[in-house]
Amino acid sequence: MIDVVQNTLDGLAIGSAYGLLALGFTLIFGVMRRLNMAFGSSILVGIFAGAWLHGQWAAGMIPIFAATLAGAVLAAAYVERLSFAWIRGDAALASMASSFALWMQLEDGIARAFPQRSYAFPSFDILPLLELGPLLLRPEFIAMFLTAAVLVVALHLMLTRTVFGLQVRTLSESREAARVSGVNVGRVAFLTFCIAAAIGGVAGFLIAATDGQISTKLGLWITMKGLIAMVISGLGSLRGALIGGLVLGLVEAQAQWYLGASGREITVFALLFVALILLPQGLAGRADAAARNEALRRL
Amino acid sequence: MLTLQSLSKHFGGVRAVDDISLTIKEGEIFGLIGPNGSGKSTTINLITGLYAPTTGTVTLDGYDLTAMAQHERTAMGVARTFQNIRLFGNLTVAQNLWVAQNGHEQRRAHFLPRWFKAGGEHGPDIEELLKFSRLHSKRDVQASALSFGEMRRLEMARALASNPRVLLLDEPAAGASQEDGQLLAERIRDVRDRGVTVLLIEHMMELVMGISDSIGVLNFGRKIAEGSPAEIQANQDVRAAYLGSKHKDEDLIHA
Repeated sequence: MIDVVQNTLDGLAIGSAYGLLALGFTLIFGVMRRLNMAFGSSILVGIFAGAWLHGQWAAGMIPIFAATLAGAVLAAAYVERLSFAWIRGDAALASMASSFALWMQLEDGIARAFPQRSYAFPSFDILPLLELGPLLLRPEFIAMFLTAAVLVVALHLMLTRTVFGLQVRTLSESREAARVSGVNVGRVAFLTFCIAAAIGGVAGFLIAATDGQISTKLGLWITMKGLIAMVISGLGSLRGALIGGLVLGLVEAQAQWYLGASGREITVFALLFVALILLPQGLAGRADAAARNEALRRL
Repeated sequence: MLTLQSLSKHFGGVRAVDDISLTIKEGEIFGLIGPNGSGKSTTINLITGLYAPTTGTVTLDGYDLTAMAQHERTAMGVARTFQNIRLFGNLTVAQNLWVAQNGHEQRRAHFLPRWFKAGGEHGPDIEELLKFSRLHSKRDVQASALSFGEMRRLEMARALASNPRVLLLDEPAAGASQEDGQLLAERIRDVRDRGVTVLLIEHMMELVMGISDSIGVLNFGRKIAEGSPAEIQANQDVRAAYLGSKHKDEDLIHA
């Protein structure tokens, strides 16, 4: 029984990182109706920028965090300019294919610049483990959970209470109507990409700091986790993205414990399958079904 | 005040708009009519900046809009509605207006929550616009849940929220009944009385003839006539374009 509880805590922690990744995907896919396949590799750029700073100057946590965020945002800005900015709103597939090419380019570029199998990333191990009776809580897990909670609330407030947030939401409806309502569509889309990348950068930093080491394989891993969490959640809602991430984390943690690593992967894909068959509207429910179908249709 | 100077738009070999010059005077309701495919919609899209013209210029109060982006033209005072309504369906009625009201505001303020804003609202008062559009009871309803008529009213209110000098109405009577047409005519006059110049594109001839101060007629991308409603009704070229010259006046009026 204590195992189940411990697994649940671990699952919720890693799941909130997945939720953050899904949040980044959802901002671009659910809200702007674009699928950015280079999302994971943008975050990878950030993580390697952090690792480089760590290896070169043994910098502290805060500069490394800043470098991770800056690297992810700069890479995403590059992707947006090249794959999304000049491709028209209704040609979502062209943008996706083009971002796929940039995924390969960024990842290959990193692999050439960093030829070792793995690099060290600073971890939180300076902080003590928390013991709650028989349960162990790693401090980075608490950081993940709190960060995810704070960011999803902040993002929700931005999208519902600020002019910029409403402008972001107009883009998924009619870009033409947004333009004639005075919205600078290009600028809003660009900033949304940067915000999504910043959220992904935070998640990437937390994940890398938990593992203490990174490799270029992390790019694909991030893309998979984020996409699966987003699909489970039903696409297009922020709350759903976070829930999708938490569910994915929980299922993974339990399956890892009882079925081992390969059993975990099988379970995750089974979960994805079941979610698509049984919950085509996703966890977030019916309200978002129309938006999701519309998004899929455009793709 | 809104001036089109030798405006042309060619799509490949098709001259959708061909050397059109028009002047719309401040405070008037200007009707732009013509058969299907005569270049009316292209003309609107050239004014709002969806298309860049092949040749010619668009100026508003002497400012050349031709090189400006669409959202910059909105800030200059050009607003429009669409023939097929395009609202922000997942925003509430009030939020639809709020977006348009703040489109050209100081950028930094875009990141502040609404209640944070000091110094009051920018542009027209949203509550007043809601009353004007008879949407006050629906202010927090999702725009996608409105009735067709309410959607049309909201779209016009959204256009007004951007504080326009000139409002382009693209077939506002499409899908409306005869009775609605009467109400619409009153609403368009009300808009004009708010100090907004109106460019009206419309098939419903009665509406255009009834409320326009001046009318321009397009056919095959060219302007074939311009003048008062009475002059347009008497114009042989216009009759020929619409009906063939054999028909009587009544046919034009009731077309």
